[in-house]
Amino acid sequence: MLLPPLSFWLPFIYFAVILAITWAAGRLAGLLLGRGVGQTMPQVSAAAGRVGTVVVWLVGGTFAIQELGVSPYVLLLVILLIGLAAVVALREPLQNIGARYFSDIYTPFKLGDTVKVAGYSGKVIEINPITTVLLSDDDALLSIPNSTFIREVVTNTSPQAWREVNVPFSVGANTDLARLESDLRKSLGKLRSHLDPRFPPVIVTRSRSAQSTELTLTVLIRRPEERDAVTAEVGKRVAELVQQTQSPRR
Amino acid sequence: MSAEQQLDICVNTQTPLLLFPPVTGSEGVPSRPPESARLEQLEEGVDYTFSPGGVTRMVYPLIRRLHEDQLIGQAHWVSLNPFGPREVRTPAFTLHNVAIAPERLAAYGNVKETIWGTVHGLRRDAPESADLFWSDDFSEYAYYNRLTAEKIRALDATYDFDVFYIHDFQQLAIGDMLGTLKPKLYRWHIPFAAKEIPPAWRSAMTAYLNSYDAVVVSTDRYQAQLEEFGYTGRIVKLYPFVDETEYTMPPADEVAATCARFGVRPEDRLVVVVGRMDPMKGQDRPIRALAKLAGAHPDVRLLLVGNGSFSGSKAGLGLSKAAQWRAELERLAVELGIGDRVLFSGHVSQRDLDACYERAEFTLLSSIQEGFGLVVVESWIHGKPAIVSKRAGVAELVKHRKNALLYDPEDVEALADQMALLLADPRGLGQRLAEGGAVAMRKCTIEAAARAESLLLEEVVNG
Repeated sequence: MLLPPLSFWLPFIYFAVILAITWAAGRLAGLLLGRGVGQTMPQVSAAAGRVGTVVVWLVGGTFAIQELGVSPYVLLLVILLIGLAAVVALREPLQNIGARYFSDIYTPFKLGDTVKVAGYSGKVIEINPITTVLLSDDDALLSIPNSTFIREVVTNTSPQAWREVNVPFSVGANTDLARLESDLRKSLGKLRSHLDPRFPPVIVTRSRSAQSTELTLTVLIRRPEERDAVTAEVGKRVAELVQQTQSPRR
Repeated sequence: MSAEQQLDICVNTQTPLLLFPPVTGSEGVPSRPPESARLEQLEEGVDYTFSPGGVTRMVYPLIRRLHEDQLIGQAHWVSLNPFGPREVRTPAFTLHNVAIAPERLAAYGNVKETIWGTVHGLRRDAPESADLFWSDDFSEYAYYNRLTAEKIRALDATYDFDVFYIHDFQQLAIGDMLGTLKPKLYRWHIPFAAKEIPPAWRSAMTAYLNSYDAVVVSTDRYQAQLEEFGYTGRIVKLYPFVDETEYTMPPADEVAATCARFGVRPEDRLVVVVGRMDPMKGQDRPIRALAKLAGAHPDVRLLLVGNGSFSGSKAGLGLSKAAQWRAELERLAVELGIGDRVLFSGHVSQRDLDACYERAEFTLLSSIQEGFGLVVVESWIHGKPAIVSKRAGVAELVKHRKNALLYDPEDVEALADQMALLLADPRGLGQRLAEGGAVAMRKCTIEAAARAESLLLEEVVNG
């Protein structure tokens, strides 16, 4: 039996090569974007990496499918339609998930705080992807959609809430946490003139999985007007040390 | 918790139960210890010794007893131990040793000495700021705590413990670091006096303490102080305890031979002070008091029993202050003209310690501050009257002139008076105090402790 000529196989070979390059480029983009953004905001690191990877795959996939003789416009149209349908169908949950995502970054409250929003008030006892659950003074559970916290004015009435800076971050499961703890404390010690000296840094383990450990660093600032600057600087230091601790050279 | 529902427990102490001598290879390079060993394969006195102090006296018998009574199932015990196998298995529990590099160890030691000295009110320059918690040395204290927490967490992933029992101030930060919803119990062994803790430390220490579901203290006074300090969890007072069966009454000839090794003559009237060589133990007070009595009682001699702690020993952290303090005491005795009447035994075996108690006319707890003072209970077990510092936790059990004599450790004159009282009336007053002590010590037995501790564990686990 005769095999088809090389010219028959060429589009498939190009398709495979472009996919391989896309895969590598996607990994690289994810890594670089994750690290670049993570320098200032470790919370955004993983998300930025994912966005970078998706963009590279969209571009690479478009080129690859073109090699098979399919119009890239068809692919883009399909993606657009699916995306549109998803947005329309899941508008409410997506708003809430998005709001949850942003509140993770620019959080004005955390579990245990007492907040007021849209005429409701209570102690925050749960923050899930869709809603934030408050326990009211009369023992009622209030489930507030996360998007409300973006649209409405939120008042955190917890004592000294303005002082608290929480930096959630993630490390690989095999990270030497003792070394990270020690290095972080030494690094934050250099910012102590901007931090409340009565409250040394607290690093709490939030959750663990086979791949990663989720932690939160909490420090208290001295002056409200420095909150933004201190948050950025603390985040930067966390990101740098996480990177160093996980670097194979050390 | 029923008999069928045994608790799996993870215990954590800084001081390990067993001390292993540093092992060096043929070229003087430290040898890597074996990863694992069985206790029955090791020989006491050759491969290891038991640590001096509360870990061996209290924690060890308690775990053994709770295991024998089938109240606990799996028990794992994590400690700091620079030498020895990483894991030692015994029939009742498994010991796990964590080790840290010498340079980190030194910094950790500085922090723990600072906390210890401050809480005991021994530092003339008590910290006015929270600088300690921001220091590089504290980073190493946190390093040790995190390392231990991670070890406990890894064990928990395998054994799924029901409860964590963390002991003493060296491990204060572990509660937060464990990151678990499971119950965490913390025992504070040293004195707790809110006024001795610098105001600048209060927030940090309260936060650390509040990471535990319950805190155990040794006296009613510490309990009240901890409440006032701002701890919001459950506070439980449990008296420290000993296992009476661990103590022997050596025969008279053995007692004489043992004490002769320490320089005690048959005709001496012997006063014994048991405690590690440490300024906090205040051994200079009885020396000064003896000098005042020397003329009236030429046959009285003072035997100081003990050496360094785990922190001070070469098989431990190597932070020795014992040798320096002993030299100071020897110099003081010579200066006061009683150099030949103050004897030092150094570290002794349990059997030798029993002989010293048996030989004593009475004992003396001279501490300037003392979390409790189990040596008084040991004295009572041996039927010997005791003179007790008012600043020791055990003073709470003392009824003056009923079961012991109390004195202010800053008042050497008062101490000399109490010693003179007992020397003058050993059969009357001495006998009454010994009989009273035999009653008081019932509050500090392993039986009482096992009951109270198992009840506490049950309550903590059940919420």
